[in-house]
Amino acid sequence: MSERSTGVESTPAEVQTPGTWRRFWDALDERLGLKGLQYPIPEHANNLAYSLGGLTLITFVLMVATGIYLTQYYNPDPNLAHESVRRIITSVSFGKFIRGFHYWGAMAMIVLIGLHLLRVFVSGSFKRPREANWIFGVILAGTTATLFFTGTVLKWDQESLEALEHNIEIGKILGRFGFWFSPSFGGIPFLTRLYVVHIAVLPFLFTMVVAVHLLLVKRLKMAPSPFRHGPQPEPTRPFTKHLAELGALALILIGILTILAVLAPPPHGPAPIEGIEITKPPWPMLWVYPIEDWIGVAGILWATLAIFLALFIVPFVDRSPERSPRKRLPMMIAAGVVVITMIGLIVYAAVQPVASHIGMG
Amino acid sequence: MNEGTNAHRRRLVHSLAAVGALVFALGPTTAAFAHEGEENVPAITDVQEAIAILAEHPGLFPAEEVTDHAMDKVGDALESNDSRGVVLENVSQAKDALDAGKTEDALTLLERSIGACPGAPVIEPEDAPRTQPPLSSPCPSLAHIQGLDRSPVGGAQEPVLIALGAVLILAGLGLARRIR
Repeated sequence: MSERSTGVESTPAEVQTPGTWRRFWDALDERLGLKGLQYPIPEHANNLAYSLGGLTLITFVLMVATGIYLTQYYNPDPNLAHESVRRIITSVSFGKFIRGFHYWGAMAMIVLIGLHLLRVFVSGSFKRPREANWIFGVILAGTTATLFFTGTVLKWDQESLEALEHNIEIGKILGRFGFWFSPSFGGIPFLTRLYVVHIAVLPFLFTMVVAVHLLLVKRLKMAPSPFRHGPQPEPTRPFTKHLAELGALALILIGILTILAVLAPPPHGPAPIEGIEITKPPWPMLWVYPIEDWIGVAGILWATLAIFLALFIVPFVDRSPERSPRKRLPMMIAAGVVVITMIGLIVYAAVQPVASHIGMG
Repeated sequence: MNEGTNAHRRRLVHSLAAVGALVFALGPTTAAFAHEGEENVPAITDVQEAIAILAEHPGLFPAEEVTDHAMDKVGDALESNDSRGVVLENVSQAKDALDAGKTEDALTLLERSIGACPGAPVIEPEDAPRTQPPLSSPCPSLAHIQGLDRSPVGGAQEPVLIALGAVLILAGLGLARRIR
């Protein structure tokens, strides 16, 4: 018998009896503490510029997922690697699409982490007490760049072999510290060792560092907006709202990567051959190519180290509490010069003919 | 003052003449040194390098540059002391094809000269066997191999995946708008 038929009046609380979904959610929250994610974050953080870090992490997860698929078919033996990539492209179900998605995802990850670094720099979000988190961010950028490089080698075409040969030359420049880059080190081929680094060591490192990075973001809270003045406190929104926005942006990103993977799948060149140098690196690494033209293979090492050293010391050079970019003009100009120079070098290298750098051919 | 200037000019002319003579004397020697020993490189290595030069993104470089570079290697192959594993007649034909600007024909002939399939892996040519093992299956055509690069996914997957991508983008845009 229903309550209505008995004439018992229902209270407002009873009218708002939670539905199945709500009860399921409450049960989950009781066990997982999900409501803890509803902590407030400043309103200025709810836009694309402040979602670049989250999008980078989502892209990393997509890379792991597509990478797991590719590892089922890829053979890291130098004699079989090229053929196994060909097989992924021609014979494996969705192989060409997944490889294309992985490739474009890697490009997106490089762009997203670069823009995220730039946003943190411009908004002064690395300033006290967030210096350590900036350094963890730079380590993540370095890890991403290394993931990109090792991935370039694994496809094992001419471009890959030449990249690997440059890596070996850099190992020689490092002397005894470059022992790991020697083809004679270890008991398995260098390509196989790079594969292990690409699928295990670097993802593990990235996961560990990003965990600390996120914990520090939570612990130190979002940095205040550099453009907000006045005594009134900034309005806040729950972090879950930020997560929902991030999810929407992730859908757009996945959609774009899907279309790119279908319409512009990455090329796979002919099988590699030693003794000649006839390719250029992919565009994210192209900025070092003219430097290598001018001062040799050592230029790759010194230019890369210089960039990362400059990034590491940013919080120790720009120490004023001022966050507004307008009031940090020297730093903005310096960063602008570096970014424009790198873009200029990429464009210059793209139009230059291929040159032999390590005395081959 | 004039004498000093003249003496300085004479010294400059003498120095330039001496440098010129040195360059003239050493130039051919240096060039010869650069090519010295190339006849000892196995012909199969030269052929493999020529194949890689012709096959690797020919559109990236001016056609003459690719042809000249490959022609050097083909010439070295023909002059090599070690022609094991190479059908030199095919290499000669490849040379003629290069001369005629038919790079794709040259590539096919070079591959045929060492019994390789288009795109077959060639790693560490110095250590490679000097004769190729017999092919167990017919080679795929060069056009097929080159067609793999930059060609869309193809088949029924293509429209489905593009539609899926478009739906995801629209869903993301809609959600982002709704959440704001």
